Amino acid sequence: MLVVIFSWEYPPRVVGQLAEHVKTLAVELVKNKVKTYVVTYHDYLTGGHDDKDGTRTVRVSNPVRTHIGVLTWVLTLNQEVERAAANIYYAEGRNIDLIDAHDWHFIPAAVTLKKALSIPFIYSVESLEEHRSHGANYPFNMAIKSIEWLGMYEASQLIVKSEWMRDEVIRVYKVPSEKIRVIPPKTSQWIKNSLEVYQKASGGAVVG
Amino acid sequence: MSRELRVIMLSWEFPPRIIGGISPHVYFLSRSLAKNGVKVYVVTCDFPGAPQHENVDGVEVYRVDSYKNPSPDFATWVYLMNVNMQKEIAALVRSLGGGVDIFHAHDWLVATAGVGLKHVFRKPLLATVHSTEIGRRNGIHFDYERMIHETEAWLTYEAWKVICCSDYMVSHVQWAFGLPRDKVVMIPNGVNVDVYTKSVHGDMSLFRSRFALKEEKIVLFVGRLVYEKGAHVLVNAVPKVLEKVNAKFIIVGNGYMKDQLSALVRNMGLSHKVMFTGFVDDETLRALQKCADVSVVPSLFEPFGIVALEAMAAKSPLVISDSGGLSEIVEHDVNGVKVYPGNPESLAWGITRVLTDDGYANWIRKNAYERVREKYDWDKIAQQTKDTYNGVLGEYSKSFWA
Repeated sequence: MLVVIFSWEYPPRVVGQLAEHVKTLAVELVKNKVKTYVVTYHDYLTGGHDDKDGTRTVRVSNPVRTHIGVLTWVLTLNQEVERAAANIYYAEGRNIDLIDAHDWHFIPAAVTLKKALSIPFIYSVESLEEHRSHGANYPFNMAIKSIEWLGMYEASQLIVKSEWMRDEVIRVYKVPSEKIRVIPPKTSQWIKNSLEVYQKASGGAVVG
Repeated sequence: MSRELRVIMLSWEFPPRIIGGISPHVYFLSRSLAKNGVKVYVVTCDFPGAPQHENVDGVEVYRVDSYKNPSPDFATWVYLMNVNMQKEIAALVRSLGGGVDIFHAHDWLVATAGVGLKHVFRKPLLATVHSTEIGRRNGIHFDYERMIHETEAWLTYEAWKVICCSDYMVSHVQWAFGLPRDKVVMIPNGVNVDVYTKSVHGDMSLFRSRFALKEEKIVLFVGRLVYEKGAHVLVNAVPKVLEKVNAKFIIVGNGYMKDQLSALVRNMGLSHKVMFTGFVDDETLRALQKCADVSVVPSLFEPFGIVALEAMAAKSPLVISDSGGLSEIVEHDVNGVKVYPGNPESLAWGITRVLTDDGYANWIRKNAYERVREKYDWDKIAQQTKDTYNGVLGEYSKSFWA
């Protein structure tokens, strides 16, 4: 199985909790014989590389350097994420079994790759704009919510970390509960359950 | 290649959605390409009442959700609209079995979609640059403008070739984005002459009487009422013209300077000689162009100047300011009159020259009409565009993407 993870933060670029979570996930996937790439933002501290732990990292930077906010920054970075993913796809003999998109930032890229190259994706929900913005509903927040909605609509499966988050996703976005899988990280069943979701979403790609 | 050439044309406007010059450009270019054996799929923003998919004169037109949610600002709306456009084009290309040869994007308004699709499908991207942020704003002053400028630069960087509509724009984009000369192709804009020969407005003198008295000559300005179009230069030229000729000045268009301009006219005591019509429909516009005794384009910045071509096609004698793309369209004393940009005395001289010498007016009118037929014909422009496509595909076939 070949999986590409999208995350806007990844060590050594640590913004919040997501970076360490994604790193641990990637390392565990490799241990379980999943070929794992991580596509993330290049902050000019590190380059693209293959780690000793077997994970492969591709870091992209934004061709548009000047921005008026995180939204325009994200929306122009997505094309570089698509370019990186497409390069992996073509180099791997036109194959990626699954994309695992963490949070809303690279949902547009995941959706385009699904429509263009039939690569399924799952949406791992770390947090929601509803909570980050404390219910604010300015056009800025609505735009981010529309991207979250797009991801939930187009994803094969959602992975959330708690029952509470599952209920919030259902409350805010009316996602059918059978589309959501609750997998608390760093428990004994974390990776086993994640691989189950991966296998189902990728249409039965073989692990190992 | 055994099958026909297939091109996906990305444009944020297409009739009936008309914001500026890109809409008619893409309309005429794509239908002329279709006539020349190119299969064109135009993907554009939706418009109330227009179908999601239709065939227009042999061109497949797809209209996508142009993002109805409120956006914090125009640029963010553009990027969000591109998410939808890119998604829909990805599905379209997939439904065609991937059999698409070229993505052709018009201006930064569809830049992100074009760049993403290029890499996902590994097909060449072409960009037509109609205008630039640095030109529109006369420099880059704020982060917002710089962001758009850098998006434009990115589009031209990713494009296999950059198409511009005038020699002026060719050197402008080279300067603005640091492009090598051999990356930029000049293909002029066109004008459809037939719509002027066909449109009959019954009794033209009746139509004319809605705008001017019998003894008044008609001086026509058509354009957005914004600084760079120079309507204020024309207003300042009015008294000088009236010293020699009895004329009515008709100003067609809207813009942020409208109130300022009408106040200027009032304060100069010229309200009876200058008429603001606002935005008019195509039929009225063409009839006006046909009965204008002189058409004036006094722009200070003008990437191309399509309104000059329209006047030439309507057989209206033309006075232009010697700037940008206009300088290339008009040869002084042959198919029009060139005057100094931003100079009311010079402009008044040019207008008076045409209005006081019928023989001269007819000479430039006749030459202009011939020039427009031979050089700015959409069939020729489509052929040049098709040649550019084939040239790019020849280079592409030798690349490792092929």
